[in-house]
Amino acid sequence: MSPSRVASRMFLGLVVLFVVGPAAMVIVDSFNGATSFPSPFQSATLHWYVDLVHHDEFVASMRVSGIVAVLAATCATALGFFAGYALIRYQLPGRNAIQTFLLGPLLVPQIVIGLAELQLFSLWGVELNLGVLVAAHTVYVMPFALRVIMASLARFDFTLEEAAYSLGAGRLRTLRHVTLPLLGSGLIGAFVFAFILSFVNLPLSLFLTNARSTTLPIMMFAYMESRIDPLIAAVASVVVIAAIATTLLLERVFRLRLLG
Amino acid sequence: MTVSPVEITTAGVANLLRRPALFGLLPAIVAVVTLLVVPLAATFWLSLSPNVLIKFTGPGLGNYGYLFGKPYYVGVLLRTLNLSFMATLGALLIGYPAAWALKVLSSRFGGTVVIGLTFPILAGPLVVVLGWMILLSDGGPLFGPLVRWGIIGRPHLLGTQTAIVIGLVQFTLPFVILTIYSVLKQIPDDLIEAARSLGAGGAQIFVRVIWPLSLPGVVSATLIAFSLAASAYVSPHYLGGETQQTLTTLVGEFILATYNSQMAAAVAIVLLAVMAIVILIFTTLTARLVR
Repeated sequence: MSPSRVASRMFLGLVVLFVVGPAAMVIVDSFNGATSFPSPFQSATLHWYVDLVHHDEFVASMRVSGIVAVLAATCATALGFFAGYALIRYQLPGRNAIQTFLLGPLLVPQIVIGLAELQLFSLWGVELNLGVLVAAHTVYVMPFALRVIMASLARFDFTLEEAAYSLGAGRLRTLRHVTLPLLGSGLIGAFVFAFILSFVNLPLSLFLTNARSTTLPIMMFAYMESRIDPLIAAVASVVVIAAIATTLLLERVFRLRLLG
Repeated sequence: MTVSPVEITTAGVANLLRRPALFGLLPAIVAVVTLLVVPLAATFWLSLSPNVLIKFTGPGLGNYGYLFGKPYYVGVLLRTLNLSFMATLGALLIGYPAAWALKVLSSRFGGTVVIGLTFPILAGPLVVVLGWMILLSDGGPLFGPLVRWGIIGRPHLLGTQTAIVIGLVQFTLPFVILTIYSVLKQIPDDLIEAARSLGAGGAQIFVRVIWPLSLPGVVSATLIAFSLAASAYVSPHYLGGETQQTLTTLVGEFILATYNSQMAAAVAIVLLAVMAIVILIFTTLTARLVR
């Protein structure tokens, strides 16, 4: 290997370390026996994980986050599929404008979306509940799902649908037996991406949760306002490990890259 | 045969009304309109509404007047801009060479790098910031040993703008690298080879061939980094704290601490306006370069 290639590798390695390091640090510290946080590593312990399992509020908030993320990702994938299909399949006038509009939620700071929806729901007299949170998360993760789905639709051979029609299959049967199976990995990728982004989101939920719809990031936020101890590192590690597992699953099983 | 504009429009509308296309687009459009456009309009309206907390009887620009009348809030605005610019600059300075290295190496090593870069996005900002709080603390693994051995004094990074910028650079870097990489990837190696065979040196190849061709990527990476940095809530909240407020954390404070929703709305609109103005100026200035 030439010296310049070695230098390139080392530089990239450092960059990745810079990007990944903080999350790795959290995992290390979750095994730290010290009770104050942050503090130098003292002794290895699983104490914080045992604490976590018995911490009802954290466990409940994980459930809430899971439910919200599943519902929001399902809605976002469905919306993204129908919209992406229409955008790619049909030569619509103003196609680019519609696409930009649908990707619009990406441009608005999440805390502003959260504030805006708080106004909307209070204008409508809707009380904060899980549905409000799902609606807010759906509109935020939809653009991500749409982009993944559009990328896989761009490689989709629409003549296969024509073939199914000419063989007598109706629109729904074609969708079920031809289109959806062929787009499978794109749809799964979109769903998983949307799920994770919803699951880890804090700023969007900040104004939209109540005592019964507290998501995991909001629970962490509330906990960290009063104190910071390695328990929070254990919670975060669970999220990190789930994220690693998902990244590898997408990469190895579905051959999907979420970026680039 | 010539087609008049009217015919094109009618054909276009007829096309739009073809059932499946409309059926496909309508739900998503309705979702964005009801859950983003209408709420933003309501927020704008709220920012113009009377506010007992500051004795403004409106409607009018009273909330904005109050905001811009206080040096503290103007400072928050300037700090937000400053942090976003610094973070963007930092991410570009690291991200460009990293994207180039990624192009040169490509293949399997590159694939691993991309997975690594994607990872913090999936772990979420809260977890990552928690990591920075550990790393940047005075007794943390980065500075702890140096402080204990007396090599450096206590750096006191947490709660400073430097800490926020570090967090923001790390947060935006993956997007910057992958955006620039996607443009660099498209520069054919033949082109670089051709320049070399015509006698250009390394620096000349970069300045005359690679840099001009990569400019569109740099421009969009800049826009992405700036928007992400200006929108960030978690990094400034935890790494900066109360003394380093930004527009996003100010919105949070107005709702969570003082429940002054008119003021929160005004700050949110100011944030959107500032982002729009900066993006507009930047795209106008660079329009000639990208073409």
